[in-house]
Amino acid sequence: MLKSKNLVPRSRLFTVYFLISFIFIVLLIRFAQIQLFEYKQYKKRADINSIRAVPVSAPRGMILDRNGHILVDNFPTYILTALPNEVNKNNFSIISSCTGKDTSLLKRNFKRYYRGRFIPSRITKDLSFDELSCIEEHKNELVGINYSQLAERSFPSKVGMSHVLGYVKEIDRSLLNNINSDFQYDVGDLIGWQGIEKQYEYLLKGAKGVSYSQVDAFGREVGLVKEIANIKPFPGKDLFTTIDLGLQKTMEKLMSKYKGAVLITDPSSGEILSFVSSPDFSPEIFTGNTSLHEWRNLVNDPRKPLLNRITNGLYPPGSTFKMITAIALLEGLMIEGDEIIECSGIYQYGDRLFKCWKVSGHGKVNLDQAITQSCNIFFYQAVQRISMNRFINLCRNFGFGIKTGIDLPTELAGLLPTRDYMNKRYTSRGWSRGHLLNMALGQGDLLVTPIQLSVYINKIATNGNTFVPHFNLNKTPEPVIQINLKDQTWVNVQNYLFNAVNSAKGTGRAANPQMRGLKVYGKTGTAQNPHGDDHAWFVGYAVKGKKMVSIVMLIENGGSGGKIAAPLAGSAFKYIFNNNLDRIAINNGKSSI
Amino acid sequence: MVKAAYNSSQNFPLSVLLLPLVLTLIGLIALFSISVNQFGVIAITAFTKQLLFMIPAIGGFLVILFIPKYIIHKYIYFAYGAILLLVTVPFLLSTIAGTHRWINIGLPVAFQPSEFAKWIVVVCLAKYLSDHNLEIKKFRTLIFPILIALFPAAIILQQPDLGTALILLTPVFPMLYWVGSRPFHLFILMAPIFSIGTAFHNVSFTSWAIIMGIIVYIARPNLIFGIVLYFVNIFLGLLAPLLWNGLRPYQQKRILTLFNPELDPLGAAYQTIQSKVAIGSGGFFGKGMGEGTQTHLKFLPVQESDFIISVIGEEFGFITIAFMLVVFALFILKIVNLAYYSKERFAGLVLIGIATIFLSHVFVNTAMSIGLIPVKGLPLPFISAGGSFLLSCYVMVSLIIKMGMETIE
Repeated sequence: MLKSKNLVPRSRLFTVYFLISFIFIVLLIRFAQIQLFEYKQYKKRADINSIRAVPVSAPRGMILDRNGHILVDNFPTYILTALPNEVNKNNFSIISSCTGKDTSLLKRNFKRYYRGRFIPSRITKDLSFDELSCIEEHKNELVGINYSQLAERSFPSKVGMSHVLGYVKEIDRSLLNNINSDFQYDVGDLIGWQGIEKQYEYLLKGAKGVSYSQVDAFGREVGLVKEIANIKPFPGKDLFTTIDLGLQKTMEKLMSKYKGAVLITDPSSGEILSFVSSPDFSPEIFTGNTSLHEWRNLVNDPRKPLLNRITNGLYPPGSTFKMITAIALLEGLMIEGDEIIECSGIYQYGDRLFKCWKVSGHGKVNLDQAITQSCNIFFYQAVQRISMNRFINLCRNFGFGIKTGIDLPTELAGLLPTRDYMNKRYTSRGWSRGHLLNMALGQGDLLVTPIQLSVYINKIATNGNTFVPHFNLNKTPEPVIQINLKDQTWVNVQNYLFNAVNSAKGTGRAANPQMRGLKVYGKTGTAQNPHGDDHAWFVGYAVKGKKMVSIVMLIENGGSGGKIAAPLAGSAFKYIFNNNLDRIAINNGKSSI
Repeated sequence: MVKAAYNSSQNFPLSVLLLPLVLTLIGLIALFSISVNQFGVIAITAFTKQLLFMIPAIGGFLVILFIPKYIIHKYIYFAYGAILLLVTVPFLLSTIAGTHRWINIGLPVAFQPSEFAKWIVVVCLAKYLSDHNLEIKKFRTLIFPILIALFPAAIILQQPDLGTALILLTPVFPMLYWVGSRPFHLFILMAPIFSIGTAFHNVSFTSWAIIMGIIVYIARPNLIFGIVLYFVNIFLGLLAPLLWNGLRPYQQKRILTLFNPELDPLGAAYQTIQSKVAIGSGGFFGKGMGEGTQTHLKFLPVQESDFIISVIGEEFGFITIAFMLVVFALFILKIVNLAYYSKERFAGLVLIGIATIFLSHVFVNTAMSIGLIPVKGLPLPFISAGGSFLLSCYVMVSLIIKMGMETIE
């Protein structure tokens, strides 16, 4: 009934008029009271007695090794701030003469941290006590200049694992607009930018507190407020990592001469005990006043120290890959236990010649011998029995071509050339099974990361029951992708690896430190690559009683795996199993061996 | 055709459009003042956002203006059903800023369906009341309209958004009053709320008991009914603190957070103090644009939306506040005036409902910023930053013009 008449008594209209007017008059009177009659009182409060809520930053959590040794700590430094409203920028020269820092740098910082006329803007940091007292002497000329403390990251244990620890970055105005996060950040806050600092930002960060202080109209603090209680900052949580400081430093020392990587893990838990990507750099480079020159040197260094070789370095795995081929043969029943193939040092496939590393040839070899002595010809021939798709699937089950899921922000998946990939790269006619022959030896288009090799050897060591490699000691280990092989296959492959280290002709003999009760397993690799000399590999593991560690050792352009990588792995095992085992405290009986 | 258009333009209540535009201008100036000093105007500020929001607001205004009145009247129940669904949708989505108020529509800004519930409920009530106007003197006729508003309000309360939920309920009573229901009936409905609300404060409860007694005496209902009504209310009031104290602290806290979900981490007292200092220190002429120390030292939280009046008070002074309040008063009085002179009951009711919505927003927002009532996050119409709300406000302006065009000569 849209058309029903609107009949409202006039009295009701006036009642409503009256009520509305009444409300507005009450509001108007109240505003008049505050703004006109109590103006002086409020004006005074605004001028000298304003309350400001100042955020109090929470100390960031420490990063510790597995035994509580401090890897990353907080260190108080002094910073200098300038209040834009008051400061005279010509006086920056006084600061410059006190601190030795260029005025242009001071001015640049001043602009970078500017947030408003009444908010102090940071102009420099890391002041020494002498510099501070020099500034204090000129206090009268330096109006609007103040100093305060700031917690910075420090690295008391002097480890070089910058790739893992990562660094924190201070948020400036341009960064603030680009951060996409659930947390509230402000200019001047620290944010984990790489490595563990980034990965575990949510644990390490803590929560800011609020301190109420009275400030005058120019933002100068004049005292604390008693009426409102301060909110205390909530410190970030400390993070225990799986790293063992002693082992880490020993490995770093061992690797200091080489370009390459060492990764030592506990296969029964996935815990990473040592992680060396060499050459590395000091994490301190991101905290202090690094000169542009130092930074350029780091970026332009041909040895690529900024590259995290373990998760982001791509390499052909070489002969360390042969176990996959062996497993494929054993699982597919394509080979009898002691089937013998003749190695004459050279093998012709189509119109191509494939060579064994031993020019004179290995003579008659079976599968065991082929791995022990790392014979290429055996695998060139045997691999032809395997279907490509099946082989690729097996590789994928061992984790190649996919990210391992390590708790670091960046990781590469490597390159596992599938049929589709090969068709795209070489067109479907442009490639042949010859490429597969190369892959069986860990060469060709195949590229892996050392962390992938670590998961691979851990799987072999534990009959497939290992865990995703990780740094967070308190994290429940995540199982890796399941792989179902016959028990006998595992036993055979493990035996081959044992022989490769222990038999007289084994290529990996140097990896055995010859200690009582210690059984060492492993495989060497000498990978051809387009960047120069061969890469030397050793992957393996050592078992003593119920305790087990695995190692992946890579020396870039180091030459023969047996001659370079295996002895270094031997030294690592020696350090671990020589009195240090209890501290490293690996394995709590979860091992399958 | 041309003549008809001319005739309708003669009836076009121009002031209803001009007054909001004046208010929007005041809002934009205040937002500009906040934005301009944030160094580097390149970033998307509240000011530029609000300018952009004017586009959908004008769009919404025009769309509603060109929908015939009878269509609105005919299909409003469908719109009501749709809005019930829409305010439920955010519960299925992830929370934004910890609440289920917004729907992410793939733009940098989210959409808040509860804003639209405000006027849809009003139009819906207007239709129901104009269709059932004969039995209005009976008490039971009051129940259904209350349910119409209560349904969406209950859902929105869970989002949680107490402010909007209360705003949905406020038009019910003025509209019932306008359509002729007995004031005493409305009093019976509202009495328990006051009884419980005042129960925690001795003086206010005593005053309320006296006022209630006088009203019951004047209204002269059936003696027994009057006595029962009075004592049930007193009893409720006495019981409330006992029940409250019987609750465990965490239960009390749960109820308190339900009724004040925006409980500021810095403490509500902080906001009120800062807002009063800002407004008070502005004086008669204000400190001038961009000169407000309270504003620019970031003492004021949510200064672009809930506390924008503090910015206006500090920088532009009492003179501007007074001007703004007068504009608001004229605007709302004009709506009521149009309601009185409109030909149809439906149109009149819509106008009264919208007037109530605007009035309660203005009252809650300003009263909060000068410490008259506790802090409750509600924006100031046309002035506060916020896209959905601005759109909703201009849709309501459009409805006012549409409903106000046909008046008794």
